[in-house]
Amino acid sequence: MSALKLIPLLLAWCGIVAALARYCPARRTLLMISCASSFAGGAAGGNLLLTIFNGEIAYSVVKALAGACFLCLWVVALAAFYRVTGSGGQGTPVEHEKAYVFTATALALPAGLLAGAICVCRLAPQGVAPLFVLGVAGILLTAVAIGIERFVPADITMTGEALLVLIVSLLLFASSFTLQLDLFSPLSMKVMKFIHDFVHQFFESMLVPDHLFFRRDVWEYIGYLFGSGVGFWGGLLIWFAPVILIGAAIRLERLPSVSHIRQGAQRRKLLAAFIGERRCRLIAPCMAVLILGAAVYNSLFPRVEYWDPKPVAVVVNASGAILIPKKGEINLEDGKLHKYLLKQGGREARFMILSTPDGRLMVTLDACAICKPEGYGQAEGAVICYYCKTLIPLETVGKPGGCNPVPVPLKVGADGVTLDAMTILNRWSETVTGSSRIKGGGK
Amino acid sequence: MVTDIIETRGLTRSYGEICALKPLDLLVPEGEWLSVMGHSGSGKSTLLNLLGGLDRPSGGSLQLGGEDLMTLSEDGLARFRREFVGIIFQQHHLVPYLTALENVMMAQYFHSVPDEAEACSVLERVGLGQRLKNRPGELSGGEQQRVCIARAIINSPKLLLGDEPTGNLDHQNTGMVMELLKELRSEQRFTIILVTHNREVAAWGDRIISLDDGVLVREERTCR
Amino acid sequence: MHRWRWLIHIVLKSLAYRQGRSLLLLGVLAMAASLVTSLGIVSSAMGLRVAEEVRKYGANLVVLPAAARIEVGSGGLDFGTIAEPAYLSQDALLQVVGNEGVTDCSLHLRGHLKAGALEMPAEGVDFAVIRRLYPWWQLQGGWPIADEAVIGIDLAARLKLKAGELIRAAGTAGAGDFRVAGVVSTGGEEDKLLFIPLARMQEALGVGSSVSQARLLAQTGGVTLEQRAARLQSLLPGSVVREVRQVARTSEGLLKKVQLLMALVTAVVLIAAASSVASTMSMTVLERGKEIGLLKAMGATRLGVLLLFCGEAVVLGLIGGCAGYLLGSGIARFVMKTVFMVSAGIDLRFAGLSCAVSLCLALLGSAGPMMSVFRLDPVRSLRGE
Repeated sequence: MSALKLIPLLLAWCGIVAALARYCPARRTLLMISCASSFAGGAAGGNLLLTIFNGEIAYSVVKALAGACFLCLWVVALAAFYRVTGSGGQGTPVEHEKAYVFTATALALPAGLLAGAICVCRLAPQGVAPLFVLGVAGILLTAVAIGIERFVPADITMTGEALLVLIVSLLLFASSFTLQLDLFSPLSMKVMKFIHDFVHQFFESMLVPDHLFFRRDVWEYIGYLFGSGVGFWGGLLIWFAPVILIGAAIRLERLPSVSHIRQGAQRRKLLAAFIGERRCRLIAPCMAVLILGAAVYNSLFPRVEYWDPKPVAVVVNASGAILIPKKGEINLEDGKLHKYLLKQGGREARFMILSTPDGRLMVTLDACAICKPEGYGQAEGAVICYYCKTLIPLETVGKPGGCNPVPVPLKVGADGVTLDAMTILNRWSETVTGSSRIKGGGK
Repeated sequence: MVTDIIETRGLTRSYGEICALKPLDLLVPEGEWLSVMGHSGSGKSTLLNLLGGLDRPSGGSLQLGGEDLMTLSEDGLARFRREFVGIIFQQHHLVPYLTALENVMMAQYFHSVPDEAEACSVLERVGLGQRLKNRPGELSGGEQQRVCIARAIINSPKLLLGDEPTGNLDHQNTGMVMELLKELRSEQRFTIILVTHNREVAAWGDRIISLDDGVLVREERTCR
Repeated sequence: MHRWRWLIHIVLKSLAYRQGRSLLLLGVLAMAASLVTSLGIVSSAMGLRVAEEVRKYGANLVVLPAAARIEVGSGGLDFGTIAEPAYLSQDALLQVVGNEGVTDCSLHLRGHLKAGALEMPAEGVDFAVIRRLYPWWQLQGGWPIADEAVIGIDLAARLKLKAGELIRAAGTAGAGDFRVAGVVSTGGEEDKLLFIPLARMQEALGVGSSVSQARLLAQTGGVTLEQRAARLQSLLPGSVVREVRQVARTSEGLLKKVQLLMALVTAVVLIAAASSVASTMSMTVLERGKEIGLLKAMGATRLGVLLLFCGEAVVLGLIGGCAGYLLGSGIARFVMKTVFMVSAGIDLRFAGLSCAVSLCLALLGSAGPMMSVFRLDPVRSLRGE
C-alpha cells in the first residue's frame, strides 16, 4: 500500500536526476554520488525531524524549504527575463564545463535533500518502518535515471534556468501529494486575504460613500475582488509566472547576428539551426508547466485516505470472554477505530472498537446488516462503509439499523473492555449470511 | 587547381529489362557548363535525374561534391537536393496557387526559413521585379521559366541542372534565358549541366557530350 | 516560428484554390460532427429526463405482506394464488418511508363490501396520492372530496350507478354512505373495484390502522432500485418489497436500448463519412501528383510534404468540428424542445468531442492517400505518369 503512494514521488525524483544528467553529461559518477547521497540524507533528515519533533513542526519545516525553493525560482526567473529583454539584450552566456558541473552539483544537493524529506513525509502517517527500503530505492532509481537519460533524444537540451524550473516543479509536484506539504492552497489563501485586505483598506482610506462616485456595474466588478475566485486565479498566476517568464526568456532570445555571412542560403541555414535548437530548449519549460498543472490538480482534489488499521488477533480466555485493555499498545479512547480479528473453532469474525465523540466506547462488527462485509474505514468525523460508500456519523455508531455496523454488547471495566466471543461469532454468521440472501448483497 | 565536382564510374540505370543508361564514366570539373545532347530515349534525361539525386542508379558509383550518392538515404538525398542542386524543367512546374514570390519562398521554406527580402532581390535579379505578386497563370512562358531559375538558385546551389529549359520557349525568350544563365554563372560560379536536343542551345556550353541509346558517343569542346 | 506561419499560409492557400473540394469535405465533416454532437447531447440529457418521465408512470416499488402464499396450478395451468388476508402496519410503513429516498407512498386496503345483496371488491385509498401516482386514471365526473367514492366502470355498469349517485356499502364491522364522485376506467383491474377513503375502509373492515399493500415511488439516484428494495425490506419486518417490474425495468432497459440505437446510427454515419473523405482525398493525390513530385524535386523531405497534407486535413477537421458543433447544438436544442419540452443549455464539452471526431475523420480519411504520397517517385510523376 505504501509503495503505491510513493510511486509518483519516486518518478519525480527520477525526473530530477535525469534532468541533471542531461544538463551536465560530463561527470556522471560525481552526479550520481551527490544525488544518491543527498536523497538518502534527506530521507534520514526527514525521519529525524519526524521522530524528534511532532508531525506539525516537521511538516512546516519541509514546507518552508519547498517555499524557499519556489521563491528562489521566482528570483532566477525575473533575472533571466530582465537579462533577455532588458537594456542589454544579450543571448545566453556561454558557460564553461566547470560551471556546468558546479551548477549541477549545487542544484543536486538541495534537490535530493528535499526530495528525500518529502518522500518520508508522504509515508509518515503510517509509520516510518520502510525507511531503509526507501533509501535503497532512491539510490537504485538514481542509477536507473542516469542510465535512462542516454535514451532521451540528444536534441533536447536545457539552459540553467530551465533546469531549475524543472527541478522545482517536480519537487512541488511531489509535495502536492501530501496534504500538509501542499503549497498551492496556502498560496491562494494568502493571495485572497491580501487582496481582500488591500481593497478593504483602500476603500476605507478613500472614505468612499457607497453610491456617490461609482455606477452600479462598477460595484459588481469590485465585488469580484471579494469573491473566492480571486484567490484561485491570483494563486494560479503566481504559481505559473516563473515558468512563463523563463519560457519567454528562452523564446525571446535574439537570433544570432548573421550579417557577416554573404551568402543568403548560409545565413538562413544558420538561423534555421538556431530556431530548431531554441525550440528544443523550450521543451523543458513546457514539461514544467504540465507538472505544475498536475500539482495544482492534486491540490484542488486531494486524495482522502481512510484510517483502516489491520485487524489485530485476539485471544479468548477460558470462560469464553475477550478482554481488551483500554490502554497499552493500542489506546482505545483516542477517537480512532481499532479493528480486531477473532478466530475460534474454525469460525472467524471481525469487529471494531471505537470511542464516540461523547466519550463512550462502542463495539460493533466490521460489517453491516445489508451490504457485503467489506468493512469500514474512518474519515473526518464519520465512518464509511466501503461497499456502499455511505458515511455514518460517529455519533450514530453503535445504534443498529440501515448501513450502521451491527452493534455488539460490551461491558466496560476500569481497565478494559469485556466481550463475549460466542455472541460475536453468532452475530457475525447471522449478518454475513443474512446479507448474502439479499439481492445485491452476496455477489 | 580545379576539382571535379562530379565523378561517375560505370554509372548505369536499368528499368527491368530495358537499360536506359549504359555504364558511363564522366568527370565534370567545377564551374563548367556542360551540354548533353541526344534524341529522345537516348538516356540524357535519365542521366540528369541521376545527377540530381532524383533517381537511384542501378550500378556504378556516383560522387557529387565529395558525397557518395549511393550511400545516402531517402531523406539524405532530399537534403542533398535542396542544398546542393537546383533543377529547371521543361514544363515549368510551378505551384499554381502561389504567386511567383511565394513559389521562390517555397524553396527557401524546405531549405531553412522563408525570407521575403532575399526572394524579392533574386526575382529582381532575373528581371521580374514588377511581377512578384502574379500567379503562374498570369505569366508568360519566358517569365515562368525565369521564376523557375530564381527558385533554382535561391539556395545557392553548387550545381544547376536543366532538362530542356528552353524547349517550350520561342527564339527571343530562349536567348533571354540563356543570357541570364550565363550572367548568373559568372556571378555565382556554379556548374551548369543542360540537357537539350537543340544544337544552338548546346553551343552555349563549354563542353558538349552526346548520348545515343544510353551510350556516350561523342564529346567536343566549344570555342567559348 | 516563421516556418509554422508559412505552413499555415500555404495550407490555407491550397484549400482556397480547390474551393469545391474543400467545401465538400467540410460539409461531410461538419455533418458527421453535428450528428455526433446532437445525438451525444440528446443522449446525455435523456438519462436525466427519462428518470423524470418515469415518475409520471407511477410507483416503482410495491410492499406486500410476507404471508404464506400457495400457488395453485400445475404445469402450464396457473389458477393464481390463495393467500390468507394479511396486513401491514400503516404506522411502521409511514415511519420507514420518510427516510429511505421514497418520495411518495400510496396505501391500499383491499377487501369486500356489500351493497345491498351484491358483494363487490373494494379498496380503501388516499385519493390525493392516487392522483399523483396514477396519472393514467381517466375519471368521468370529478375527483372525490371528503367522503366521496370512485367506482370502476365495469362495476358501475353492474350496479347501474352513475356519477353523482349514492351507494351504501357495508363491511363486516361497519357501513357508510358514499356519493359516487366519478367513474374510473383504466383498462385494468381498477375497473372492477369500488374506491373509498382509506380511513372509512379501515372502519368498515374493522382492521384498525392496517393496509394490505403500499405502492412507493422511490428515487434511484446513486442506488439501484434493487438495493433500495433490499433496504426497505430489511427495515420492514414481515413484508416483501418488490419492484413494479413493468415500469422500472423497462424504463431503464428502454433507455439503454435507445442509447445503443443512437450509438449504432452514429457509428454507421461515421463510417460513411470516413469513406467519403478517403475517396475525396485520394482523388486529390492523383490530381496533385505533379505538385508533390515538384516539391520532392525541390528538396522537400517526405515528412515535409506529409506535413502539408496533414495540415490541410487538420484545418479542415477543425473548421468542420466547429461548424458541426454549432449545427449539432442547434439540432439538439430543437429535438429537446419538441420531444422533451425542455430547453437545453449550452454544453461545451461536446465542442471538444465534435472537433476530435472531425479531426479523426479527416486524418483517417487522408491516411491512405498520405501513404501513397510517401511512396511517390518524383521522376515518374514529373514526367506525367
